[in-house]
Amino acid sequence: MPTTEEFLAEIQSDDEDVRYAAWSIAEQMDPAVIPALSELLLADEPGVRKAAAEALNNIVHSVGKEVDALALRAAAGRAEASESDKRQAVVKELLSLLGSERQEAERVMALRQLSLIATVDAVPAIAELAPDRNLREEVVFCLERIPGKTSEDALLGALANADDDFKPRVLAALGHRQAEEAMSACLEAMKSPDATLAMAGMKAAARIGGRVGGELRLPDYDALSEWHKTEFTDSLLRYADAQVEKGNPNGAWPIYRQVLEREEEHWQCAAIVAIAKIGTAEAAAAIFPKLRSDDSTVRITAQKTWERMSKPSEA
Amino acid sequence: MTIQTKTSRRKFLAQAGATSLGFTIVPSSVLASPAPSDRLNFGHIGIGGRGRRFLRPLAQLDEPAVQWQNLGGPGDRVLRPALSVALCDIDASRLDLAATAVGGRPRLYKDFRRLLEQRDIDAVFIAAPDHWHALMTIMACQAGKDVYVEKPASKTVEEGRAMVTATERYGRVVQVGSQGRSQETAYSACKYIQNGQIGRVREVKCWHYENPRGDWTPDSDPPDGLDYDRWIGPARHVPYNETRTHGRFRWMLDFGGGQIRDRGAHVMSIAQWIMDADYTGPVSVETTGEPHHDGMYDTPQEMTVTYEFKDPDWTLIWAQPGEPSTEIEARYGAVYHGDSDRLTVTYGDRHTTDTEQKAKDYKIPHGGVEPYHSPGHGEDFEDCIRSREKPIMHIESAHRVATLCILGNISFRLRRKLEWDPVNERVKNDEEANRLLSRPGRGPWHL
Repeated sequence: MPTTEEFLAEIQSDDEDVRYAAWSIAEQMDPAVIPALSELLLADEPGVRKAAAEALNNIVHSVGKEVDALALRAAAGRAEASESDKRQAVVKELLSLLGSERQEAERVMALRQLSLIATVDAVPAIAELAPDRNLREEVVFCLERIPGKTSEDALLGALANADDDFKPRVLAALGHRQAEEAMSACLEAMKSPDATLAMAGMKAAARIGGRVGGELRLPDYDALSEWHKTEFTDSLLRYADAQVEKGNPNGAWPIYRQVLEREEEHWQCAAIVAIAKIGTAEAAAAIFPKLRSDDSTVRITAQKTWERMSKPSEA
Repeated sequence: MTIQTKTSRRKFLAQAGATSLGFTIVPSSVLASPAPSDRLNFGHIGIGGRGRRFLRPLAQLDEPAVQWQNLGGPGDRVLRPALSVALCDIDASRLDLAATAVGGRPRLYKDFRRLLEQRDIDAVFIAAPDHWHALMTIMACQAGKDVYVEKPASKTVEEGRAMVTATERYGRVVQVGSQGRSQETAYSACKYIQNGQIGRVREVKCWHYENPRGDWTPDSDPPDGLDYDRWIGPARHVPYNETRTHGRFRWMLDFGGGQIRDRGAHVMSIAQWIMDADYTGPVSVETTGEPHHDGMYDTPQEMTVTYEFKDPDWTLIWAQPGEPSTEIEARYGAVYHGDSDRLTVTYGDRHTTDTEQKAKDYKIPHGGVEPYHSPGHGEDFEDCIRSREKPIMHIESAHRVATLCILGNISFRLRRKLEWDPVNERVKNDEEANRLLSRPGRGPWHL
């Protein structure tokens, strides 16, 4: 195996095959080589930049799989560092690249790599960068990928301190994570006079699907743009679907009935499809009138869902 | 509704149409009153090389038969009139070209959401870059449009499943552009194999030539007229580079994914269809391969992906370059190895799809297996807009095919075998691989 110096020299070789051979075995190098590779991401020669990037990828991927460290050591009959120790070392080196003394490209690379292998221990250092306008998108991307409540709490913290123009992005991350604890923040955002922020709150709340206690203030539908109106009704449907999934069909019925009576065929179809999944006599009664709808798409959709409802469920 | 019934109904509709004068008019007795509009209105999002092929110009509106280009089928259909009424592209030059080709007064947009708001559009054709397919499809469903979206269906497994959910939630028709299943020769191969003519299939070996390497070009400012931020959309930001955009994005893992995602979506779509695996997936995926040692592109130069399926047990292999068939010369395709014989199916897209004569000559015996016989990919889509049936390349099947391609690339990147749970769509015991099954959206672009 090459020394660190030899390895870095090969990464910077004029010969692409030498560079390739080096990056192919990068995972065998000590994680302490990561900062030097990071600097090479800014090299003048594009082939060197590529080799450094691929070497970093291979180092990170080599520790990405959860492995029982004890079993690994036992199977290999050796006592050196386990994979999870190496993973911690790799994460530590990546975190060291987040400092303001590093170039932006290095910090972005580190955040993207951390999104793949970091665990909750790394969250505080990552979340510290949330206020940085040049990095905030990457920070949220990274936190969104790290499982666990700690990263959701960090996203909530980022939301509280974010500029208004960035709050929708953070709300989207919380919605994507279905972070239950973010429900109240989403409902608060829905009260905003800024339609983009209000709809971001509504969309996130719909995806989380948490129970709504107390006063609920929806965005002013009539004041919304056409696309926001679409998102409004889609969010209502998602929220209703979530209630059914959580065993609360009573929370869904008022929404489904309202959407069922909309003029547009696709909203009626969506309501029909959703109601059919409830599968009760009440559901059948709600769908029945649509079997004679003047709109052929609604009619056919109702017929098909009716047929499915009347078949015994498959094992 | 059985396949037999569906085929018969479609034949009826086609025959009813053929007796009309000029336009194809569906008798109102076929469907309960009132009869649907005679004309379909299409919107188009992404009007580059591929997207232009879907345009329905005003000049062809009065023609008695408009055949879809390169989309297979026996070509014996008389289609309904359709018109492209709305066009969208983030490249102003492409928008202008398309508007001229269509003629009349299509409405022009740079923001696809404005196009989706247009109420008189029945269906949209999405031919934007791969990383936009999922979100545009989902949003089109939300807007009540049926969708024809180019393959591959999605960039991530999460996106694909979200497309399936949206399609089902809104009762929409979504056809994905892996038109191989609509090719006559693919149908011949399918009926031949599904009726046991090569015995039980143990292995399907695909071959395809290597991925290109890509020269180094410097990053630059995007050209005037191109909304590059919108081009990037939900993907992670990279500086503009002409070698990474129009058409060539497919050689970058972040935007495309190489030939496995491009042509693999065709070749493996047919394999999945023939093997009746549209609602399942492999239990393991293992990729070996080598990247280009230099150049801009990061998709592998050569690769071999082995997919193991269970119950029934069979193996699917995607190989670049692989072992071309000795029966039919072609740049890519698949050989199906059965207990008693084998069969080659080449290509899987366009009208160049071919198979061996023995399959073309085969007649299904009484009581044999009859695969669905598509009238043509575009025709099938238009039929389903009216019938609300699932088209031949419906979104669930396309999602499963895309998943094969995605997992092949993940295994390549991580340089390890993946144990896959096709029911829960998760990788077993591999945290990093599971994080790669999704990708948080940039800016306002989220699932």
